[in-house]
Amino acid sequence: MSQQPIVVCSFGEGRDGLPPGAEEVLHIGRNLAQACEAPLMWVILGPLPERASATAGLYGVQNLHQIDDAKLEANHTDAQVAALAAYGKAQTPQAILVHQTLEARTVAPRLAARLGGAVVMNGISISPIGQNFEITASAYGGDTRVIYEVGPKPVLAFIPNAVIPEPGSGSAIDAEPFAVDLSGVEERIEVLEPAHFDGPRLDDADIIVSGGRGLGSQDNYSLIEQLAEALGGIAGASRPLVDDGWVDSSHQVGLTGRITRPNLYVAIGISGASQHMAGCSAAKTIVAVNRDPEAAIFQHARFGIVGDALEIVPELIRAASAG
Amino acid sequence: MRIVVCVKEVLDPDAVNNYAVAGRLEIGADGKTLTQTAIPRLMNGYDEQAIEAALRLRDAGAEFTLCVLSVGSDPDKLLKHAAALGAEELISIQVDPATLDPQATAKLLASQIQASGGAEVVFCGRQASDDDQGVVPVLIAEHLNMSVVTVAREIRLESDALTIIRATPEGDEIVRAACPAVVTITNELGEPRYPTASAKIKARRVKPTIVTPAELSLSAEEIAPKVLLKQQFVPEVQGNCEFLEGDAAQVAGQLLEKLRAEGTLQ
Ligand SMILES: Cc1cc2nc3c(=O)[nH]c(=O)nc-3n(C[C@H](O)[C@H](O)[C@H](O)COP(=O)(O)OP(=O)(O)OC[C@H]3O[C@@H](n4cnc5c(N)ncnc54)[C@H](O)[C@@H]3O)c2cc1C
Ligand SMILES: Nc1ncnc2c1ncn2[C@@H]1O[C@H](COP(=O)(O)O)[C@@H](O)[C@H]1O
Repeated sequence: MSQQPIVVCSFGEGRDGLPPGAEEVLHIGRNLAQACEAPLMWVILGPLPERASATAGLYGVQNLHQIDDAKLEANHTDAQVAALAAYGKAQTPQAILVHQTLEARTVAPRLAARLGGAVVMNGISISPIGQNFEITASAYGGDTRVIYEVGPKPVLAFIPNAVIPEPGSGSAIDAEPFAVDLSGVEERIEVLEPAHFDGPRLDDADIIVSGGRGLGSQDNYSLIEQLAEALGGIAGASRPLVDDGWVDSSHQVGLTGRITRPNLYVAIGISGASQHMAGCSAAKTIVAVNRDPEAAIFQHARFGIVGDALEIVPELIRAASAG
Repeated sequence: MRIVVCVKEVLDPDAVNNYAVAGRLEIGADGKTLTQTAIPRLMNGYDEQAIEAALRLRDAGAEFTLCVLSVGSDPDKLLKHAAALGAEELISIQVDPATLDPQATAKLLASQIQASGGAEVVFCGRQASDDDQGVVPVLIAEHLNMSVVTVAREIRLESDALTIIRATPEGDEIVRAACPAVVTITNELGEPRYPTASAKIKARRVKPTIVTPAELSLSAEEIAPKVLLKQQFVPEVQGNCEFLEGDAAQVAGQLLEKLRAEGTLQ
């Protein structure tokens, strides 16, 4: 294979000093770069996150590039696409890898179109095959896996729980600025009111208690909140509860909601549809409470309780509070 | 004004899920396609909501021609449904979907939108429930040089601009986009309506315009897939559930004990 680089690209506001999913995608990028005997580059849009230099060292990044420009704010996808297209044209990477956030879902296809490459979402793993790549992705909400062969220069997005990152050792490397001229870019979307979220995030939670349609009514959702509190976790929900307005969309776990990876996931009155499991199947331990012993959720659970949520949950709250 | 809604035919995702849960989801001899012929084919759920989004603009007084567009081999049922809901124009681009990838699909849709008179607004679903890709709408926008706003749950149209509430994982965000724009619709928009019986009868008179890729003057290269499906398989779920027995208080006690013993809980 050629020596054209594998590029990992990160953008969006981070937490804990790194952009979201940076380590997961660096992990995938490092393995792919090794398999292709190609250098690994990491490009970051916006201000340099605190841990970027050190993290780049831990994943064998050869060049850490930073594109900083006042126009590169979160939500400014026209500027992000223009910046990355300029970068892509200069570096001619074999593949560009991103972490699949809602923002990346807009940026990646447009970037692929501008660079003349393919684009694939929901990636789980990737390997080279000749001059192409073979990428395993999830389909039908997780009911199936597909293996796609994609041509050269693709932009590939990986789902947040695709891998558990394993940092190696290596010393920090300095970021090199990469200059792009964004003076001609005019953002076409104007944000009138930004989304505002300041509670603890499901993506970061160690313990999650989620409720589903089996709760019967909105009032009963307070049982989920109480149990979450008693266990020191946070409350999530399946999609129907969001559709019916019991909770807002920031609570939704699943394919089109939050992708979580807690230590403990307690699913109450949730059937275990693939699209829900897409957001919690990476949990270490899943506990399910469901009236139906045949519910799919029990195929994923470590511990199962067959019974009425309205009888079981108050006892769980009691037992958890007693601990 | 013209509003185009792009709709895709998919296998009923709930039925696919039921087969998967029962361990009966099977892949055919080609190693790629789901074999169950019993799984109904229907309009992608988000696309029903995309039509609903357009109808709500009409309810709010906006005047426009509604065009519903689909790429596939047999979208008749979908287009009839759209006509019964009030679409004046129906366009079917006839191609075997197995020969396409999202990029080729987007090329076909974008070219047809342009060739048939353009659009001030294009509504799509946020993603298709079969491939879950969600890239077709973004690529349509890129090809037509339109802006794109994803995961819309509420839309207002004021002369030549849209005000949109997006349901993001961080909560609601309100944005403004000048027309022309591509907007993808999410489930938070709410239930799509059903056509009345009389509307269904009347809709039989609206005939879809049939288009083939050759008529769109796209080169073979432009609609050659870059993403080739090589294999599809059903992932295994390990399933080692330990069921706890006893009355509510007993099972609750047992569970907490086990989780603490394992170190899952402090
Ligand atoms: C493209 C697409 C994307 C989707 N994205 C998501 C997503 O991100 N997140 C998501 O959650 N869903 C998503 N869905 C929807 C998903 O397919 C399911 O419909 C949904 O997860 C079902 O939610 P539920 O389990 O709460 O409800 P149901 O499937 O109705 O299950 C309710 C469960 O509660 C049990 N029950 C009933 N009464 C009681 C009781 N008294 N006590 C205990 N148990 C009881 C029942 O036995 C049943 O198992 C998506 C679907 C599609 C097509
Ligand atoms: N074959 C198709 N015909 C019409 N619209 C489509 C087609 N494929 C995708 N779309 C539109 O693009 C959206 C996202 O599809 P996808 O990118 O395949 O996940 C769908 O919800 C449709 O609105």
